[in-house]
Amino acid sequence: MGPLRLSSPPPVLELRQVLVAGRGQPRLDRISLQLRAGERVALLGASGSGKSTLIAVANGLLSPSAGAVLWQGQPPARSGRRRRRQQAAIGTLWQDLRLIEELSVQQNLNAARLAHWGWPRALLNLLLPLESAACSAVLRQLDLDPALLDQSVQQLSGGQRQRVALARLLRQQPTLLLADEPLSSLDPRLARELLDLLLAQAEAPRALLLSLHRPDLLEGFDRVIALRQGRLVFEGPPAQLSPADLADLYGADAQGANATLAFQAAEHPAPSGAEAPAGG
Amino acid sequence: MTTSPPSLLQARPAAPLLPLLPALVLLPVLLLTPSQIHGGGLDLIGQFAGAALTPSLDPALLASLWHGLGITAGMALLGWAASLVLGVVLGVASARVVWLSVCGCAWPAALIRRLLALPRSIHELIWGLLLLQLVGLQPAVAVAAIALPYGALVARVVSDLLDALPRRSLQALTAAGVPAGPALLTALGPPLLPGLLSYGGYRLECALRSATLLGVFGLGGLGTDLKLTLQSLQFHELWSGLWLLLAVMLLLETVVGVLRRRWGMPARWQLGAAAVGRHGRELLLAALLLLPLLLLVGRGLGVDPLALLHGQPLPPISDGWESALALPWPSLIRSTLVLTLVAAALAVGVAPLLLLLVAPWPWGRRLLQLVWAFGRLLPPPLTALLLLFVLQPGVLPAALALGFHNLGILGRLLLESAEATGPEGGASEQALLLAGAGPRLALLHGRFSALARSYLAYGAYRSDVILRETVVVGLVGASGLGSQLQEALSAFAWHQLLALLAVYATLTLLGEDLSDRLRHRLLNR
Repeated sequence: MGPLRLSSPPPVLELRQVLVAGRGQPRLDRISLQLRAGERVALLGASGSGKSTLIAVANGLLSPSAGAVLWQGQPPARSGRRRRRQQAAIGTLWQDLRLIEELSVQQNLNAARLAHWGWPRALLNLLLPLESAACSAVLRQLDLDPALLDQSVQQLSGGQRQRVALARLLRQQPTLLLADEPLSSLDPRLARELLDLLLAQAEAPRALLLSLHRPDLLEGFDRVIALRQGRLVFEGPPAQLSPADLADLYGADAQGANATLAFQAAEHPAPSGAEAPAGG
Repeated sequence: MTTSPPSLLQARPAAPLLPLLPALVLLPVLLLTPSQIHGGGLDLIGQFAGAALTPSLDPALLASLWHGLGITAGMALLGWAASLVLGVVLGVASARVVWLSVCGCAWPAALIRRLLALPRSIHELIWGLLLLQLVGLQPAVAVAAIALPYGALVARVVSDLLDALPRRSLQALTAAGVPAGPALLTALGPPLLPGLLSYGGYRLECALRSATLLGVFGLGGLGTDLKLTLQSLQFHELWSGLWLLLAVMLLLETVVGVLRRRWGMPARWQLGAAAVGRHGRELLLAALLLLPLLLLVGRGLGVDPLALLHGQPLPPISDGWESALALPWPSLIRSTLVLTLVAAALAVGVAPLLLLLVAPWPWGRRLLQLVWAFGRLLPPPLTALLLLFVLQPGVLPAALALGFHNLGILGRLLLESAEATGPEGGASEQALLLAGAGPRLALLHGRFSALARSYLAYGAYRSDVILRETVVVGLVGASGLGSQLQEALSAFAWHQLLALLAVYATLTLLGEDLSDRLRHRLLNR
């Protein structure tokens, strides 16, 4: 028997020379990147830099004009059951959460399983409380009281809604976690709490790609990707992100960004063990 | 937390299922249908369907249809314009806020509202047939038949809108010493306009349908041509008329929709919502252009309003109150209510069901649009006549005909909302699709959740319209109070007619009250 040869699994997400055309200049200009299992990647950039477009390409909402997107090494299927299976492995935490307001917390959590459920079960979910044990477990994982299951999401507080949206994401059991500025409308304490919860979920085989516009929240990420006018202008560990890089990214806002970075450095020294990502 | 398996006793339908529940009526309908089928006209239905693709293109026929369409469109336009004038005047006169500002009391508003309930509750077809008996066949009859009930309906909407408007600016003006009239006009006029115009556009679409229907019953225009071609089984000629009517109706709906969006008018489901009108100059220009157009159409059709004041000699009264009392009231009322419920459930429940079924295929929605457009344009009595080729007369063909017509109206609204982007469920549906849910389940969970209550509220309003419309299919010999009305009218049995109208009006007003309560509950829970 010869020596065992281990081939590394394909990246959870890979973009190859992705171009998204826009009016005048491209919204994404030849972006290439890889996300491997267990990686936590922050996506930085000023408003209009292409962060949301990149997340939209990553989750299949938008097809690139040129280049390729690979999920687990496979190109997206055009449609049908295979495409749905691929989509089920990608979970997105939306900025506006996109909870279904008229349904209970439990029904919202179970809606994340619709990719795997047939009609009878999906209809029963709209009639009866299904899979209460699994729903309670994800709520507990996020420090939420399982008694909330029966409540309509309209009755939840802002913080509870954020956590329920995250719980729905976990209930989906995706491999790729995407989050499009999930912290933008939160106060600093809540933002940090939610971010810690998200970072904690991104253990292998999962990977996390989260777009941010606040450089003071980079602690806990393995890698930072920064965009300016649709182009990738920085890729590396957070510790390597200098005030000059920030000034380059944020332009007029650079002063504020520098201040937050200085604050971050003082409050939370950069993790010494931040490793360069494989294939990064 | 205990996690015992769910019991059926805990079952409680969530919002997305609610619009589908009325579709359960399909079970008894499908069970009943085989026993109601008679084989006589199956080949006729086949010929009718086959002729859709080969309409007659005979120039003489097309010229005649075009002329008929002109008469129908003219009657609709004049009836609609008269109803708007009547409606605004009566609506202002029945608004509480107006009377409170003018004399500090609201009872005259309540009184006028009650009085207006009577013309509102009587369908335009009955108005048409009554006027036909009283003053004979003339163009003004159809116009008045549309204007009277529509005017009362518009009046109700205008007074509701006026009473729901915020009164702070009105109070500010009256506190500054502005007299009641100018203060009302300044403070409430501009915010009333968008809702009024949006509703007015919708009523124009309804008026075209009503004018066609009146034609089916002999008041002239394209409806008369359609009925004659159907009765003589000239299906190719019938389809020429139907395609022509479809083209005009879709054009009108498109123009009204474009103007509604361009002028910033509220969508039909949100008539109560605040909106700001735009392009005021265009609006004024359109209103100014409408006036000469109305005069031209009136002259072209030979409409003489004064002719309505000259009655024709009537035969002697042939019955007494005892004949009215002898009518089988319980069974008449029961069959009318059953007809209403079945037709309303079919219309409300089948539209979302069909939308779900075709969800995975983009062409499916376009096909539904076409079927629903036919539902809207085909007058229910003609559908009922077609159904009588294969079904025995009774509640079933009448309910299917009415249900199909209203399905066309509700389906169109539902599809418009399901395709609208924005917060009404579009984002949730997209999120579910991107999480791997199939198109049907994503539509059901993501979109229907947000639409369910407003859709059902509109369905409640539509049910109340359907109750009023039962007379239309009753008149083709199907069932209920409608067929009895037809008999009373043709026999000049005035006592029976009065009793039937009183019962019909009472039922309609009770239905209106019930649907109002239901709508209020659905929208303000």
